[in-house]
Amino acid sequence: MSAVIPRHRVNVLTGIKAARLIEDPAEYADLIKKAKRPLLVVGPLLLASTPDGKVLMQYALDIAKAGNIPICATAQTRGKMVELGVQPDCVYDVVEIVNALKDPNWRGVKKEGNHDLVMFFGIRSDLGNQGLSTLKHFAPHLKTMTLCKHYFPHASYSLPNFRRDAKWLEFLDALIANLKKGE
Amino acid sequence: MAKVKELARKLEEIHKKIRAEIPWELVGPTPMPGIPDLRQWDMRLLKTYAPFYSPFCDLCCFCTYGKCDLTESRRGACGIDIATQQARFVLLACLVGCSAHAAHGAHVLEHLLEKYGPDKKIDLGGSISIEAPHIRTVLGLKPETLGDLQVALEYVFNEVSHLLDSCHTGQEGSALDYESKALHAGMLDHVGMEAADIAQIVGFSYPTSVADTPLVELGWGAIDKNKPVILVWGHNPVTSTAVIDYLREHNLEDKVEVCGLCCTALETTRYSDKAKIVGPLSRALFFVRAGIADVIMTDEQCIRTDTPQEAAKAGSAMIACLDKAMYGLENATDMDTDEIIRRMIDNGEQFAILDSAKAAEVAVRVAIEIAPRRRKEWLTEERAIELAKKCTNCGMCEQVCPNLFNIGDGITEVAKGKFDLIRQQFLYCIGCGKCEQECPNKVPIFKIMQTAASMEKWKCRAGRGPIMDTEIRNVGAPITLGTIPGVVAFVGCSNFPDIDDVAAMVDEFAKRKYIVVLSGCSAMAAGMKKDQDGLTVYEKYPPNFDMGGVVNVGSCVANSHITGAAIKIANIFAALPLRANYEVMADYVLNRVGACGVAWGAYSLKAACIATGCNRLGIPVVLGPHSSKYRRLYLSRKEEGDWRVMDARKKQIVDTKEPAPEHLAYVCETKEKAMPMIAKLCIRRNDTPQGRAIKLNHYISLYKKYIAPGLPEDLHLFVRRDADIPLVYKKEVREHLQKMGWQPREPVGLPTLIGTYPSKVPIDAVIH
Repeated sequence: MSAVIPRHRVNVLTGIKAARLIEDPAEYADLIKKAKRPLLVVGPLLLASTPDGKVLMQYALDIAKAGNIPICATAQTRGKMVELGVQPDCVYDVVEIVNALKDPNWRGVKKEGNHDLVMFFGIRSDLGNQGLSTLKHFAPHLKTMTLCKHYFPHASYSLPNFRRDAKWLEFLDALIANLKKGE
Repeated sequence: MAKVKELARKLEEIHKKIRAEIPWELVGPTPMPGIPDLRQWDMRLLKTYAPFYSPFCDLCCFCTYGKCDLTESRRGACGIDIATQQARFVLLACLVGCSAHAAHGAHVLEHLLEKYGPDKKIDLGGSISIEAPHIRTVLGLKPETLGDLQVALEYVFNEVSHLLDSCHTGQEGSALDYESKALHAGMLDHVGMEAADIAQIVGFSYPTSVADTPLVELGWGAIDKNKPVILVWGHNPVTSTAVIDYLREHNLEDKVEVCGLCCTALETTRYSDKAKIVGPLSRALFFVRAGIADVIMTDEQCIRTDTPQEAAKAGSAMIACLDKAMYGLENATDMDTDEIIRRMIDNGEQFAILDSAKAAEVAVRVAIEIAPRRRKEWLTEERAIELAKKCTNCGMCEQVCPNLFNIGDGITEVAKGKFDLIRQQFLYCIGCGKCEQECPNKVPIFKIMQTAASMEKWKCRAGRGPIMDTEIRNVGAPITLGTIPGVVAFVGCSNFPDIDDVAAMVDEFAKRKYIVVLSGCSAMAAGMKKDQDGLTVYEKYPPNFDMGGVVNVGSCVANSHITGAAIKIANIFAALPLRANYEVMADYVLNRVGACGVAWGAYSLKAACIATGCNRLGIPVVLGPHSSKYRRLYLSRKEEGDWRVMDARKKQIVDTKEPAPEHLAYVCETKEKAMPMIAKLCIRRNDTPQGRAIKLNHYISLYKKYIAPGLPEDLHLFVRRDADIPLVYKKEVREHLQKMGWQPREPVGLPTLIGTYPSKVPIDAVIH
């Protein structure tokens, strides 16, 4: 079990199986690249902006573009994506997409088969962790990953707790650069 | 043979209890149902709305075999798997919730039976003849006296014991059967709540058969701290009504301020419109720590386990008034009243006093005595700025905040003399106090937040109890045909992501002519916001159970009147017999009554049980994001689900391909997502084309307003034929449907699930 304590301790007591902590953007990019059918699930925390005015959703769109990853828009995020010129590949709420993902026979967003790597980005940590717990326990056919600035113990792979947002944004920029390598 | 005899004896016993010989209606197939009796109905529901589990923990630590690791398909030492463990936990939560309401009812009833005897008649006024839709439907009993309510509660307690038994280590091995049991507990809960509230209405002469109950004052600003202040806190009105009685008897009602927290506040304002509501549970610790209350009286449920310590710190006297929470205090029930008062005043001692009249006298006399000596002042902004300077914004507070925000940012701003952020954060605060406990610099966060706590006062309509039969007759047709787009019930606790969400949602749906019903902490939160004209939703909208009405039914136990109204529509409007006829009632509600519950801040075990009871009755519930921690939802798989129904008129099974209602228990992350989801969950298979067009009009416009331009992705699933398309979106929707390859389909004449699963109920039973 990882010794990392989640940022929000209400989610701390996961038990014995916790996310592998990864701090190297190149390693994260490799995991994404290795996936055959990844999926990026975006949540409403991405509607906020960085101090220099960049909408966090833009990071998600850049990651999706660099990695050729379909996007699932949850909550009210579709509006912002459309505003930024991108149509989501599907629109489900968090519990709905998790419910579909846990079915190994689901055909996935592209109707090519269920996904093998699911990334959560911008979902509030309590709800996100609960959704990841569902997948941890009931979807052994896929791995999960988070791109948020806090540690998510129920994921397969998670970022650490970033004390400063700037460091997290640096990680995301480096991840995008790594995904673009060898395009 | 012995089994048959046993069943016959049991049935005879039940018939005796429900006085089956009195033919107000024929006794239906399930009088006083036991665990297996409605299991097939549950399994049918669970086939379409499968349990969705989100384990909070990988382990089971229930017995000394464990802790057992349940990850990766492992089973515990008793054989349990992770899904069944979640289902067991949900059942346990529901049982605690059900017990809380039923035991509350039993305590109230015991008090009233002592006062009035068992033969006191139940009379809910001239406009309510179906006085107890749940008791009639579930037990088959028409309760006529307080003594009859005892029969209902005894039935609940008996069933709860059996259900609790099933949770023992190494017993039930099926998650679905645990879910069926949880649904059973949910149904029992609504019986218990109904018995409790009927007893209260009868015993305390609460308003009944009236819509226009008084508007009572709500908020800290409403409380006159210059008077002696008594705070009543919890859910059970036996003591708080005794306080009002004492004040009235001694001509002190205008001299002593009585205010309440949580449901006791709602109960007390049903008894006296001079009583004030402090606010929901999320405001409790703030208010207690402010020290405004001279005496704090706790009864039961949602009263915090550290009340004696907090009261002592604030210099408030404290009395525990019910056996559910005695806090280790000396039981002074038999002690001389003057002696209790002397020791409370001279020594600051706290007591448990289980005699309501004695507790009331003590509270009033102590409050009058100590109030003049106590300093009761709100913190000034200048002092708050000084206190805030100790904050280093280390972020420890955020790590323990259940609502996941950094109060340190707000406190740092206060130190600079800026209060805007902390005022905003106060709306997110659920009032648990964990941030202050964690602060390494001992910053008095709650005290500082007093400056953010609005001194404004608002209005809340006093709880009115059951919906009147006359109202049901007026709205029955438009609800079932869909021309009233839905009944939306905002219920439950104050674990809100943002307290302002509730008033915003109530306003949105009332404006759109839905019937909006409220109870509990949500009823208070809805009143805690004014529009630009200075009006709360209770002042802005009529109090009738009719389109565009905003109705406060009362406290937690009054939730039974909301579900009871759904049953009454089936019984009064559709003339379907309800006596011991649960499946028919639930089937009617599921297929034809466009109702949706919203428990946006649900935190409690009681809320889990109330929602589960709604689900068994066919009412979907939307929950706020925190409720993912309840571990279980009931979700369909949209078009991949089983949407077959029986057309009762043609006696044919029809695949409607229509997910209506789409889910039974659903979590939304934001109010923006919740708005269109609520509208969608009011869609029913029985909607007429006109009704469906109205419902889709709201679904589409809410989607456009809160989610994105364009149309909902699943719209095609809810359009049966062209006439269902709202006029205003006709062109856009037609183009969309064409792109989707949509094909028209015929609406079902009389949709029912009866006939699609094994049941004792004949199909003809649903034809009215």
